[in-house]
Amino acid sequence: MTAALARPVAAAAPATSRLGRIAWNWRHNPKLELWLAWYTILVFYNIFGIVFFVMTRSQPPPKAWWSLPRMVQWFADNEWGLLVGFGIIFAMGAFATASTALITYSIRRMSVSPAFAYTYLILYSLAAVPGMLLTCIALVVGAMRLDRDPALMGSLYDMGFIAFSGTMGIFLVGSVIWAVAILLDTNRIFPRWFGYFNICNALTEVVVATCVIEKSGPFAWDGIISFYVNMVVFGIYTGVFITLLRKMIEREDFTAGSPLSQHRRPHAI
Amino acid sequence: MWVLVMIEGLTFAAYFVVYTYFYRQSPDLFLASQAHLDLTLGVVNTIILLTSSWSIARCVERSRAGDYKAALRNVLLTMAGGFLFAGIKLYEWSVEIGRGFTFTTNTFFSFYYFLTGIHLLHIIVGSIALFVVIHQLSSPARRAQEIIETGATYWHMVDFLWVIIFALLYVMR
Repeated sequence: MTAALARPVAAAAPATSRLGRIAWNWRHNPKLELWLAWYTILVFYNIFGIVFFVMTRSQPPPKAWWSLPRMVQWFADNEWGLLVGFGIIFAMGAFATASTALITYSIRRMSVSPAFAYTYLILYSLAAVPGMLLTCIALVVGAMRLDRDPALMGSLYDMGFIAFSGTMGIFLVGSVIWAVAILLDTNRIFPRWFGYFNICNALTEVVVATCVIEKSGPFAWDGIISFYVNMVVFGIYTGVFITLLRKMIEREDFTAGSPLSQHRRPHAI
Repeated sequence: MWVLVMIEGLTFAAYFVVYTYFYRQSPDLFLASQAHLDLTLGVVNTIILLTSSWSIARCVERSRAGDYKAALRNVLLTMAGGFLFAGIKLYEWSVEIGRGFTFTTNTFFSFYYFLTGIHLLHIIVGSIALFVVIHQLSSPARRAQEIIETGATYWHMVDFLWVIIFALLYVMR
Protein backbone atom coordinates (compact mmCIF):
# COMPACT_ATOMS: atom_id res chain seq x y z
CA MET A 1 0.00 0.00 0.00
CA THR A 2 2.80 2.39 0.85
CA ALA A 3 4.37 2.04 -2.58
CA ALA A 4 1.24 3.34 -4.17
CA LEU A 5 0.41 5.92 -1.58
CA ALA A 6 3.94 7.21 -1.51
CA ARG A 7 3.61 8.81 -4.94
CA PRO A 8 3.99 12.54 -4.39
CA VAL A 9 1.52 14.31 -6.61
CA ALA A 10 1.54 17.98 -5.82
CA ALA A 11 4.13 18.48 -3.12
CA ALA A 12 7.37 16.72 -2.24
CA ALA A 13 6.83 14.02 0.36
CA PRO A 14 9.02 14.29 3.40
CA ALA A 15 11.79 11.73 3.09
CA THR A 16 11.29 10.30 6.54
CA SER A 17 10.03 6.96 7.77
CA ARG A 18 7.48 4.77 6.00
CA LEU A 19 4.94 5.74 8.66
CA GLY A 20 5.68 9.39 7.97
CA ARG A 21 5.11 8.91 4.24
CA ILE A 22 1.80 7.20 4.91
CA ALA A 23 0.74 10.07 7.16
CA TRP A 24 1.83 12.61 4.57
CA ASN A 25 -0.06 10.85 1.78
CA TRP A 26 -3.12 10.51 3.98
CA ARG A 27 -3.23 14.28 4.26
CA HIS A 28 -1.96 15.36 0.83
CA ASN A 29 -2.37 12.68 -1.84
CA PRO A 30 -5.23 13.79 -4.12
CA LYS A 31 -5.77 10.20 -5.21
CA LEU A 32 -6.29 8.98 -1.67
CA GLU A 33 -9.96 8.10 -2.15
CA LEU A 34 -9.24 6.23 -5.37
CA TRP A 35 -6.43 4.23 -3.77
CA LEU A 36 -8.58 3.42 -0.75
CA ALA A 37 -11.29 2.13 -3.09
CA TRP A 38 -8.74 0.08 -5.05
CA TYR A 39 -7.20 -1.53 -1.96
CA THR A 40 -10.70 -2.22 -0.64
CA ILE A 41 -11.38 -4.19 -3.83
CA LEU A 42 -8.16 -6.15 -3.32
CA VAL A 43 -8.98 -6.94 0.32
CA PHE A 44 -12.61 -7.78 -0.47
CA TYR A 45 -11.86 -10.24 -3.28
CA ASN A 46 -9.25 -12.00 -1.16
CA ILE A 47 -11.64 -12.38 1.78
CA PHE A 48 -14.44 -13.37 -0.62
CA GLY A 49 -12.23 -16.12 -2.04
CA ILE A 50 -11.19 -17.40 1.39
CA VAL A 51 -14.77 -17.42 2.70
CA PHE A 52 -16.40 -19.07 -0.33
CA PHE A 53 -13.64 -21.50 -1.28
CA VAL A 54 -12.01 -22.37 2.05
CA MET A 55 -14.25 -21.58 5.04
CA THR A 56 -17.73 -22.42 3.77
CA ARG A 57 -16.73 -24.87 1.00
CA SER A 58 -19.60 -23.44 -1.02
CA GLN A 59 -17.27 -22.99 -4.03
CA PRO A 60 -16.66 -25.01 -6.08
CA PRO A 61 -20.34 -25.76 -5.48
CA PRO A 62 -21.41 -29.16 -4.16
CA LYS A 63 -23.47 -31.47 -6.36
CA ALA A 64 -26.85 -30.32 -7.61
CA TRP A 65 -28.16 -33.90 -7.83
CA TRP A 66 -27.62 -34.86 -4.18
CA SER A 67 -30.51 -36.42 -2.24
CA LEU A 68 -32.12 -34.54 0.65
CA PRO A 69 -30.22 -36.46 3.39
CA ARG A 70 -26.92 -35.72 1.58
CA MET A 71 -27.80 -32.01 1.43
CA VAL A 72 -28.54 -31.99 5.17
CA GLN A 73 -25.23 -33.77 5.70
CA TRP A 74 -23.47 -31.06 3.70
CA PHE A 75 -24.93 -28.37 5.98
CA ALA A 76 -23.82 -30.40 9.03
CA ASP A 77 -20.30 -30.93 7.64
CA ASN A 78 -19.84 -27.21 7.03
CA GLU A 79 -21.92 -25.80 9.87
CA TRP A 80 -19.32 -23.58 11.53
CA GLY A 81 -17.65 -22.62 8.30
CA LEU A 82 -20.98 -21.41 6.93
CA LEU A 83 -21.93 -19.52 10.10
CA VAL A 84 -18.58 -17.82 10.65
CA GLY A 85 -17.65 -17.37 6.98
CA PHE A 86 -20.90 -15.82 5.89
CA GLY A 87 -20.97 -13.85 9.15
CA ILE A 88 -17.80 -12.21 7.87
CA ILE A 89 -19.48 -11.52 4.52
CA PHE A 90 -22.48 -9.96 6.31
CA ALA A 91 -20.07 -7.74 8.24
CA MET A 92 -18.01 -6.60 5.26
CA GLY A 93 -20.24 -7.32 2.26
CA ALA A 94 -20.64 -3.61 1.69
CA PHE A 95 -16.98 -3.51 0.64
CA ALA A 96 -18.16 -5.04 -2.64
CA THR A 97 -19.46 -1.59 -3.54
CA ALA A 98 -15.88 -0.28 -3.86
CA SER A 99 -15.47 -2.22 -7.08
CA THR A 100 -18.75 -0.92 -8.49
CA ALA A 101 -17.87 2.61 -7.40
CA LEU A 102 -14.42 2.60 -9.01
CA ILE A 103 -15.71 1.11 -12.27
CA THR A 104 -18.54 3.66 -12.32
CA TYR A 105 -15.91 6.36 -11.78
CA SER A 106 -13.89 4.97 -14.69
CA ILE A 107 -16.94 5.16 -16.99
CA ARG A 108 -17.57 8.75 -15.88
CA ARG A 109 -14.04 9.55 -17.06
CA MET A 110 -14.91 8.28 -20.52
CA SER A 111 -16.22 10.37 -23.40
CA VAL A 112 -19.60 8.62 -23.26
CA SER A 113 -22.98 9.53 -21.84
CA PRO A 114 -23.18 9.40 -18.01
CA ALA A 115 -26.15 7.06 -18.57
CA PHE A 116 -23.62 4.24 -19.03
CA ALA A 117 -22.14 4.88 -15.58
CA TYR A 118 -25.50 5.20 -13.84
CA THR A 119 -26.89 2.09 -15.51
CA TYR A 120 -23.80 0.14 -14.50
CA LEU A 121 -24.03 1.46 -10.95
CA ILE A 122 -27.69 0.47 -10.57
CA LEU A 123 -27.22 -2.93 -12.19
CA TYR A 124 -24.29 -3.96 -10.02
CA SER A 125 -25.88 -2.55 -6.87
CA LEU A 126 -28.87 -4.81 -7.56
CA ALA A 127 -26.80 -7.78 -8.68
CA ALA A 128 -25.01 -8.18 -5.36
CA VAL A 129 -28.29 -8.86 -3.57
CA PRO A 130 -29.26 -12.14 -5.28
CA GLY A 131 -25.75 -12.97 -6.51
CA MET A 132 -24.05 -12.84 -3.12
CA LEU A 133 -26.24 -11.89 -0.15
CA LEU A 134 -29.19 -14.19 -0.91
CA THR A 135 -26.78 -17.13 -1.20
CA CYS A 136 -25.22 -16.29 2.15
CA ILE A 137 -28.62 -15.85 3.83
CA ALA A 138 -30.06 -19.13 2.49
CA LEU A 139 -27.02 -21.20 3.46
CA VAL A 140 -26.65 -19.58 6.88
CA VAL A 141 -30.34 -20.20 7.62
CA GLY A 142 -29.79 -23.84 6.71
CA ALA A 143 -26.72 -24.18 8.92
CA MET A 144 -28.39 -22.43 11.86
CA ARG A 145 -30.90 -25.20 12.64
CA LEU A 146 -29.75 -28.54 11.30
CA ASP A 147 -32.82 -30.34 12.72
CA ARG A 148 -35.18 -28.68 10.25
CA ASP A 149 -37.36 -30.73 7.90
CA PRO A 150 -34.99 -32.09 5.18
CA ALA A 151 -37.37 -30.81 2.48
CA LEU A 152 -36.88 -27.27 3.82
CA MET A 153 -33.12 -27.80 3.98
CA GLY A 154 -33.22 -28.92 0.35
CA SER A 155 -35.05 -25.73 -0.62
CA LEU A 156 -32.46 -23.59 1.15
CA TYR A 157 -29.65 -25.53 -0.54
CA ASP A 158 -31.20 -25.07 -4.00
CA MET A 159 -32.04 -21.43 -3.34
CA GLY A 160 -28.51 -20.70 -2.17
CA PHE A 161 -26.77 -22.12 -5.18
CA ILE A 162 -29.33 -21.07 -7.79
CA ALA A 163 -29.11 -17.51 -6.43
CA PHE A 164 -25.32 -17.59 -6.77
CA SER A 165 -25.07 -19.14 -10.24
CA GLY A 166 -28.43 -18.50 -11.87
CA THR A 167 -28.47 -14.73 -11.53
CA MET A 168 -25.44 -14.06 -13.72
CA GLY A 169 -27.65 -12.31 -16.25
CA ILE A 170 -27.44 -9.02 -14.36
CA PHE A 171 -23.64 -9.18 -14.28
CA LEU A 172 -23.69 -10.09 -17.97
CA VAL A 173 -25.62 -6.95 -18.93
CA GLY A 174 -23.32 -4.86 -16.73
CA SER A 175 -20.32 -6.32 -18.52
CA VAL A 176 -21.83 -5.45 -21.91
CA ILE A 177 -22.50 -1.87 -20.78
CA TRP A 178 -18.89 -1.48 -19.64
CA ALA A 179 -17.71 -3.02 -22.93
CA VAL A 180 -19.74 -0.64 -25.09
CA ALA A 181 -18.57 2.35 -23.04
CA ILE A 182 -14.90 1.31 -23.47
CA LEU A 183 -15.30 0.76 -27.22
CA LEU A 184 -17.01 4.14 -27.71
CA ASP A 185 -14.64 6.05 -25.44
CA THR A 186 -12.19 8.39 -27.13
CA ASN A 187 -10.35 9.28 -23.89
CA ARG A 188 -8.84 5.77 -23.86
CA ILE A 189 -9.42 5.26 -20.13
CA PHE A 190 -9.12 1.53 -20.83
CA PRO A 191 -7.47 -0.19 -23.80
CA ARG A 192 -9.85 -1.26 -26.53
CA TRP A 193 -8.92 -4.94 -26.16
CA PHE A 194 -10.37 -4.88 -22.66
CA GLY A 195 -13.70 -3.82 -24.14
CA TYR A 196 -13.65 -6.98 -26.25
CA PHE A 197 -12.61 -9.01 -23.21
CA ASN A 198 -15.76 -7.72 -21.48
CA ILE A 199 -17.88 -9.03 -24.35
CA CYS A 200 -16.11 -12.36 -24.07
CA ASN A 201 -16.79 -12.48 -20.33
CA ALA A 202 -20.45 -11.69 -20.92
CA LEU A 203 -20.79 -14.42 -23.56
CA THR A 204 -19.24 -16.94 -21.15
CA GLU A 205 -21.61 -15.98 -18.35
CA VAL A 206 -24.63 -16.85 -20.51
CA VAL A 207 -23.64 -20.48 -20.13
CA VAL A 208 -24.51 -20.51 -16.43
CA ALA A 209 -28.20 -20.11 -17.30
CA THR A 210 -28.37 -23.85 -18.03
CA CYS A 211 -27.98 -24.59 -14.31
CA VAL A 212 -31.71 -23.98 -13.77
CA ILE A 213 -32.54 -26.82 -16.18
CA GLU A 214 -29.94 -29.51 -15.50
CA LYS A 215 -29.29 -31.16 -12.12
CA SER A 216 -26.28 -33.20 -13.19
CA GLY A 217 -23.62 -33.33 -15.89
CA PRO A 218 -21.62 -30.54 -17.52
CA PHE A 219 -24.49 -28.02 -17.45
CA ALA A 220 -25.52 -28.29 -13.80
CA TRP A 221 -24.44 -25.54 -11.38
CA ASP A 222 -21.38 -27.63 -10.48
CA GLY A 223 -20.81 -28.72 -14.09
CA ILE A 224 -17.52 -28.43 -15.93
CA ILE A 225 -19.02 -26.05 -18.51
CA SER A 226 -21.44 -24.07 -16.32
CA PHE A 227 -18.99 -23.59 -13.50
CA TYR A 228 -15.36 -24.47 -14.19
CA VAL A 229 -14.84 -23.03 -17.69
CA ASN A 230 -16.83 -19.96 -16.73
CA MET A 231 -14.87 -19.55 -13.50
CA VAL A 232 -11.51 -19.64 -15.31
CA VAL A 233 -12.58 -16.87 -17.70
CA PHE A 234 -14.13 -14.85 -14.87
CA GLY A 235 -11.03 -15.29 -12.69
CA ILE A 236 -8.71 -13.99 -15.43
CA TYR A 237 -11.17 -11.19 -16.21
CA THR A 238 -11.28 -10.09 -12.55
CA GLY A 239 -7.48 -10.07 -12.29
CA VAL A 240 -7.22 -8.02 -15.48
CA PHE A 241 -9.80 -5.41 -14.52
CA ILE A 242 -8.29 -4.91 -11.05
CA THR A 243 -4.88 -4.36 -12.68
CA LEU A 244 -6.32 -1.94 -15.24
CA LEU A 245 -8.13 0.02 -12.53
CA ARG A 246 -4.77 0.41 -10.78
CA LYS A 247 -3.19 1.69 -13.98
CA MET A 248 -6.10 4.10 -14.42
CA ILE A 249 -5.52 5.55 -10.95
CA GLU A 250 -1.78 5.88 -11.61
CA ARG A 251 -2.51 7.81 -14.82
CA GLU A 252 -5.30 9.92 -13.33
CA ASP A 253 -4.40 13.60 -13.64
CA PHE A 254 -7.68 15.20 -12.54
CA THR A 255 -8.00 17.18 -15.73
CA ALA A 256 -11.27 18.81 -16.74
CA GLY A 257 -14.04 16.27 -16.96
CA SER A 258 -12.80 14.22 -14.07
CA PRO A 259 -15.47 13.74 -11.44
CA LEU A 260 -12.85 14.64 -8.86
CA SER A 261 -11.55 17.71 -10.67
CA GLN A 262 -13.82 19.92 -8.57
CA HIS A 263 -12.98 18.15 -5.34
CA ARG A 264 -9.23 18.29 -5.00
CA ARG A 265 -7.94 17.93 -1.52
CA PRO A 266 -6.92 21.45 -0.47
CA HIS A 267 -3.47 20.39 0.76
CA ALA A 268 -2.59 19.02 -2.64
CA ILE A 269 -2.98 22.30 -4.53
CA MET B 1 -10.53 -7.76 -31.53
CA TRP B 2 -7.74 -10.34 -31.68
CA VAL B 3 -7.93 -10.60 -27.88
CA LEU B 4 -11.60 -11.52 -28.20
CA VAL B 5 -10.85 -14.02 -30.96
CA MET B 6 -8.11 -15.60 -28.84
CA ILE B 7 -10.18 -15.85 -25.66
CA GLU B 8 -13.28 -17.04 -27.52
CA GLY B 9 -11.13 -19.59 -29.33
CA LEU B 10 -9.73 -20.89 -26.03
CA THR B 11 -13.17 -20.97 -24.38
CA PHE B 12 -14.73 -22.86 -27.29
CA ALA B 13 -11.72 -25.18 -27.38
CA ALA B 14 -12.53 -26.03 -23.74
CA TYR B 15 -16.17 -26.74 -24.72
CA PHE B 16 -15.03 -28.99 -27.56
CA VAL B 17 -12.66 -30.92 -25.30
CA VAL B 18 -15.47 -31.44 -22.77
CA TYR B 19 -17.83 -32.57 -25.57
CA THR B 20 -15.26 -35.06 -26.83
CA TYR B 21 -14.71 -36.37 -23.30
CA PHE B 22 -18.45 -37.01 -22.82
CA TYR B 23 -18.66 -38.49 -26.33
CA ARG B 24 -15.98 -41.02 -25.39
CA GLN B 25 -17.81 -41.82 -22.16
CA SER B 26 -20.95 -42.98 -24.02
CA PRO B 27 -20.25 -43.26 -27.77
CA ASP B 28 -23.33 -45.43 -28.46
CA LEU B 29 -25.71 -42.87 -26.98
CA PHE B 30 -24.03 -40.02 -28.86
CA LEU B 31 -24.08 -41.87 -32.20
CA ALA B 32 -27.70 -42.93 -31.78
CA SER B 33 -28.70 -39.36 -30.90
CA GLN B 34 -26.62 -37.87 -33.71
CA ALA B 35 -28.58 -39.98 -36.20
CA HIS B 36 -31.67 -37.88 -35.37
CA LEU B 37 -30.03 -34.64 -36.57
CA ASP B 38 -30.77 -33.37 -40.06
CA LEU B 39 -27.39 -33.48 -41.79
CA THR B 40 -28.75 -31.71 -44.89
CA LEU B 41 -29.77 -28.65 -42.86
CA GLY B 42 -26.33 -28.68 -41.21
CA VAL B 43 -24.60 -28.75 -44.61
CA VAL B 44 -26.85 -25.99 -45.99
CA ASN B 45 -26.10 -23.81 -42.97
CA THR B 46 -22.36 -24.45 -43.35
CA ILE B 47 -22.48 -23.39 -47.00
CA ILE B 48 -24.46 -20.27 -46.06
CA LEU B 49 -21.91 -19.24 -43.42
CA LEU B 50 -18.93 -19.97 -45.67
CA THR B 51 -20.55 -17.83 -48.38
CA SER B 52 -21.14 -15.04 -45.86
CA SER B 53 -17.47 -15.24 -44.87
CA TRP B 54 -16.51 -14.90 -48.52
CA SER B 55 -18.78 -11.87 -48.94
CA ILE B 56 -17.42 -10.11 -45.83
CA ALA B 57 -13.89 -10.71 -47.15
CA ARG B 58 -15.03 -9.14 -50.43
CA CYS B 59 -16.45 -6.23 -48.44
CA VAL B 60 -13.06 -5.57 -46.81
CA GLU B 61 -11.26 -5.90 -50.13
CA ARG B 62 -13.68 -3.49 -51.89
CA SER B 63 -13.52 -1.07 -48.97
CA ARG B 64 -9.73 -1.01 -49.12
CA ALA B 65 -9.98 -0.22 -52.82
CA GLY B 66 -12.36 2.67 -52.09
CA ASP B 67 -15.31 0.99 -53.82
CA TYR B 68 -17.74 1.55 -50.93
CA LYS B 69 -20.88 0.76 -52.91
CA ALA B 70 -19.65 -2.75 -53.64
CA ALA B 71 -18.43 -3.07 -50.05
CA LEU B 72 -21.90 -2.15 -48.78
CA ARG B 73 -23.53 -4.69 -51.13
CA ASN B 74 -21.22 -7.39 -49.80
CA VAL B 75 -21.83 -6.65 -46.14
CA LEU B 76 -25.58 -6.70 -46.77
CA LEU B 77 -25.13 -10.11 -48.39
CA THR B 78 -23.22 -11.24 -45.29
CA MET B 79 -25.98 -10.04 -43.03
CA ALA B 80 -28.61 -11.80 -45.14
CA GLY B 81 -26.55 -14.98 -44.78
CA GLY B 82 -26.51 -14.51 -41.00
CA PHE B 83 -30.28 -14.08 -40.84
CA LEU B 84 -30.84 -17.07 -43.12
CA PHE B 85 -28.54 -19.19 -40.95
CA ALA B 86 -30.43 -18.14 -37.81
CA GLY B 87 -33.80 -18.86 -39.47
CA ILE B 88 -32.73 -22.36 -40.53
CA LYS B 89 -31.27 -23.04 -37.10
CA LEU B 90 -34.53 -22.04 -35.39
CA TYR B 91 -36.47 -24.24 -37.84
CA GLU B 92 -34.12 -27.13 -37.09
CA TRP B 93 -34.63 -26.67 -33.35
CA SER B 94 -38.40 -26.61 -33.79
CA VAL B 95 -38.22 -29.90 -35.74
CA GLU B 96 -36.08 -31.55 -33.05
CA ILE B 97 -38.30 -30.30 -30.24
CA GLY B 98 -41.34 -31.51 -32.22
CA ARG B 99 -39.77 -34.98 -32.28
CA GLY B 100 -39.38 -34.83 -28.51
CA PHE B 101 -35.63 -34.12 -28.40
CA THR B 102 -35.08 -31.26 -25.95
CA PHE B 103 -32.19 -29.95 -23.86
CA THR B 104 -32.89 -32.47 -21.12
CA THR B 105 -33.37 -35.56 -23.36
CA ASN B 106 -29.76 -36.73 -22.91
CA THR B 107 -26.19 -35.41 -22.74
CA PHE B 108 -25.82 -35.32 -26.54
CA PHE B 109 -28.86 -33.12 -26.98
CA SER B 110 -27.75 -30.92 -24.07
CA PHE B 111 -24.52 -30.32 -26.00
CA TYR B 112 -26.42 -29.92 -29.28
CA TYR B 113 -28.65 -27.13 -27.93
CA PHE B 114 -25.85 -25.61 -25.90
CA LEU B 115 -23.24 -25.41 -28.67
CA THR B 116 -25.67 -24.34 -31.40
CA GLY B 117 -27.35 -21.92 -28.95
CA ILE B 118 -24.16 -20.21 -27.83
CA HIS B 119 -23.09 -20.04 -31.48
CA LEU B 120 -26.43 -18.46 -32.41
CA LEU B 121 -25.78 -15.86 -29.71
CA HIS B 122 -22.47 -15.12 -31.43
CA ILE B 123 -24.35 -14.74 -34.73
CA ILE B 124 -26.60 -12.14 -33.05
CA VAL B 125 -23.57 -10.24 -31.68
CA GLY B 126 -21.97 -10.56 -35.13
CA SER B 127 -25.09 -9.07 -36.72
CA ILE B 128 -24.72 -6.05 -34.41
CA ALA B 129 -21.08 -5.78 -35.58
CA LEU B 130 -22.29 -5.94 -39.19
CA PHE B 131 -24.80 -3.15 -38.47
CA VAL B 132 -21.85 -1.04 -37.30
CA VAL B 133 -19.99 -1.86 -40.53
CA ILE B 134 -23.06 -0.88 -42.60
CA HIS B 135 -23.31 2.34 -40.59
CA GLN B 136 -19.66 3.07 -41.34
CA LEU B 137 -19.97 2.36 -45.04
CA SER B 138 -23.19 4.25 -45.61
CA SER B 139 -21.71 7.73 -45.14
CA PRO B 140 -18.51 9.27 -46.58
CA ALA B 141 -18.09 11.04 -43.23
CA ARG B 142 -17.29 7.74 -41.51
CA ARG B 143 -15.83 4.73 -43.35
CA ALA B 144 -13.16 3.80 -40.78
CA GLN B 145 -11.30 0.88 -42.32
CA GLU B 146 -10.24 -0.40 -38.89
CA ILE B 147 -13.85 -0.76 -37.72
CA ILE B 148 -14.85 -2.48 -40.97
CA GLU B 149 -12.03 -4.99 -40.64
CA THR B 150 -12.81 -5.54 -36.96
CA GLY B 151 -16.39 -6.50 -37.84
CA ALA B 152 -15.10 -8.80 -40.57
CA THR B 153 -12.67 -10.49 -38.18
CA TYR B 154 -15.49 -11.22 -35.75
CA TRP B 155 -17.64 -12.69 -38.52
CA HIS B 156 -14.81 -14.94 -39.69
CA MET B 157 -14.44 -16.18 -36.11
CA VAL B 158 -18.17 -17.00 -35.95
CA ASP B 159 -17.84 -18.90 -39.23
CA PHE B 160 -14.74 -20.76 -38.06
CA LEU B 161 -16.43 -21.82 -34.82
CA TRP B 162 -19.45 -23.13 -36.74
CA VAL B 163 -17.29 -25.33 -38.97
CA ILE B 164 -15.90 -27.09 -35.86
CA ILE B 165 -19.34 -27.33 -34.20
CA PHE B 166 -20.78 -28.80 -37.39
CA ALA B 167 -17.98 -31.34 -37.62
CA LEU B 168 -18.35 -32.38 -33.97
CA LEU B 169 -22.14 -32.56 -33.75
CA TYR B 170 -23.19 -33.71 -37.22
CA VAL B 171 -20.22 -35.55 -38.71
CA MET B 172 -17.87 -37.00 -36.08
CA ARG B 173 -18.33 -40.74 -35.71
